[in-house]
Amino acid sequence: MKRIVCATRGGAASRAVQERAISLAAEHSAELVFLYVSDSCSCGAMSDDLAQVVEDELRRIGRSLLHIAHVRANEQGVEADMVAKCGPVRQTILDFVAETQADALVIGAPRTDTGAQEFGGDSLPVFAKQVTEETGAEVFIV
Amino acid sequence: MEELLQTQTLVIILLLVVSLVAIAVRRLRLPYTVALVLVGLAIAFLQPVAVEVTPELILALLIPPLVFEAAFQVDFALLRANLVPILAMAVPGVLLTTFIVGGIVTASVGVPFAAAAAFGALIAATDPVAVVAVFRTLGVPRRLAVAVEGESLFNDGTAIVIYNIAVGAALTGLFDPVAGVLDFLVVSLGGLAIGLILGWMVAQVIARIDDPLIEVTLTTVLAFGAYLAAERIHVSGVLAVVAAGLVSGNVGLRGMSPSTKIMLENFWEYVAFLANSLVFLLIGLRVNVPLLLADLWPIAVAVLAVLIARAVAVYGLSWLAYRLGSRVPKNWRHVFFWGGLRGAIALALALGLPGALADREMLLAMTFGVVLFTLLAQGTTIQFLLRRLGLVGASEGHLEREIRWGRLYMTQAGQRRLLALNTEGLLTGDIWAGISEEYRLTNQQLTADVDLLYAQYPELEREVVLQTRREALKAERSALRDALVRGWLSGQVHHTLAQEVDRRLEAVRLIEETAFGSQASTADANSGELNSGMRI
Repeated sequence: MKRIVCATRGGAASRAVQERAISLAAEHSAELVFLYVSDSCSCGAMSDDLAQVVEDELRRIGRSLLHIAHVRANEQGVEADMVAKCGPVRQTILDFVAETQADALVIGAPRTDTGAQEFGGDSLPVFAKQVTEETGAEVFIV
Repeated sequence: MEELLQTQTLVIILLLVVSLVAIAVRRLRLPYTVALVLVGLAIAFLQPVAVEVTPELILALLIPPLVFEAAFQVDFALLRANLVPILAMAVPGVLLTTFIVGGIVTASVGVPFAAAAAFGALIAATDPVAVVAVFRTLGVPRRLAVAVEGESLFNDGTAIVIYNIAVGAALTGLFDPVAGVLDFLVVSLGGLAIGLILGWMVAQVIARIDDPLIEVTLTTVLAFGAYLAAERIHVSGVLAVVAAGLVSGNVGLRGMSPSTKIMLENFWEYVAFLANSLVFLLIGLRVNVPLLLADLWPIAVAVLAVLIARAVAVYGLSWLAYRLGSRVPKNWRHVFFWGGLRGAIALALALGLPGALADREMLLAMTFGVVLFTLLAQGTTIQFLLRRLGLVGASEGHLEREIRWGRLYMTQAGQRRLLALNTEGLLTGDIWAGISEEYRLTNQQLTADVDLLYAQYPELEREVVLQTRREALKAERSALRDALVRGWLSGQVHHTLAQEVDRRLEAVRLIEETAFGSQASTADANSGELNSGMRI
């Protein structure tokens, strides 16, 4: 395992997901990349002008969360990269895993029923299967 | 002149009472509206006040701002997601309540069916203000709050239409079902159409100007104007205000600058607070306790009938909604049932019952009885139900975070004071060293406790990131004003930069409202190509 992508967005599962990715990276001496994907479309319809600001703020918040994950990795002696992207969440993660030729993707299962989950119901195992089929990366659901 | 001064004095006294209750209720675990009713009751019992509460006062003056503000706040996307259960409760639900309550009241108390049906219709209008306030405090899912508010917005309108038809039948003794259905459709759809048209027109005007004061004034004209215009052509004024509010809050807002949005939201929040406070205080003041006691049996029947009708409507229609492909979670159904409080609309309609109607006074007493029961019994216990059903958000984590933050805040204030005493030379030597070391260690421990909490409740982490961002933006806004006052910035530059910060504050609010952009439904593959990617 040479490259691990850890998809994080600061939800209830985030801490456990990050810890798992960090320990995997340490175990395999692999390169670790924390990925944050934001999608301004999730904030509903709005003017183009405001959408741009929302996107900018989402990216800024994402960077803060990535820095927090980065500090955690460093504290455990693991060097990590951070990437923030905007776009449809699933497709963006899939594309990034393919683009970086990652060997593994670590991702969190929803912990709370907020009624508005990116990976609610059975969609996460389906997505994991799709990632493995299309990119060959092993998916760890935490 | 004397009469005007008396009215002015009365309004000022009422506002003073409202303010005092609002201050006192902060210390009590009681919904604000319930506290107002109780205070009104106490005043009426100890020192009766001559306040004339007419249906016109409530319907034309107090209801439009309340309904407009509630509709303005409703996110159309969330409303659409709950449209089947909302409409099921608002149309067949009101009809079911009308017939069930009417039937039970006729059978048990002997009121003629048409008059009892008018009571059934007026009592079908729910008023979730007290419940929604509890929702906000406890962090209940936003979708549930929208469903409860949405039901109330629409059932107010349908209840009034059915009430008018029933009152007409009670007075004339004639009822044509076909004409009744047609009348219902014309009045309801007519009201909605008026609201949509006026709301759209105002949104177009607002999109072409950029002056917060004029835009706020236009929304005021819209809220009251939509009601009056609809009533003038004999269609539903309340539904017109609902539609106008929805259009303004969803379409109109897009054409507004962030500064206007903030001003508009503050303005309507205040107006709704005033209207709401006066409505519930007046309910308390208007209750005649001896008369209620005289009609105890009919009131008990009415309360029971309302509960039975609500149970049939909620559980029966939830099953129907499920068959139509819209699932209402089981625990939500119990909240719909017990959270179906009655308030201003029911009261206004009861006061408007014609004098010629059979058993008018008894129906009025029954309405007051039901309103009081729902507010005092259901309104005060809904929070226990929400906790029992597990619908309260991560309050344990939030509460614990507040406690740990509070302790940290206190300790740091103590440390700063010690440092000041040391600087002034009042605290020195070994005593200073000992005490400051103790504080340093406590501070260290408390900081570690906060970090530990984030490990336990990781979802708090992103909330803190957002909260901190909001705080920072507010500080930036405040610094801008400071720079303007000191003459470092010209008015024009201040205006441009302030608008920029307001736009960012608006963006942060949107992100917070949509649970940090986690809505999968809108993040579909068609929503666009990858916008950007950056390595940090």
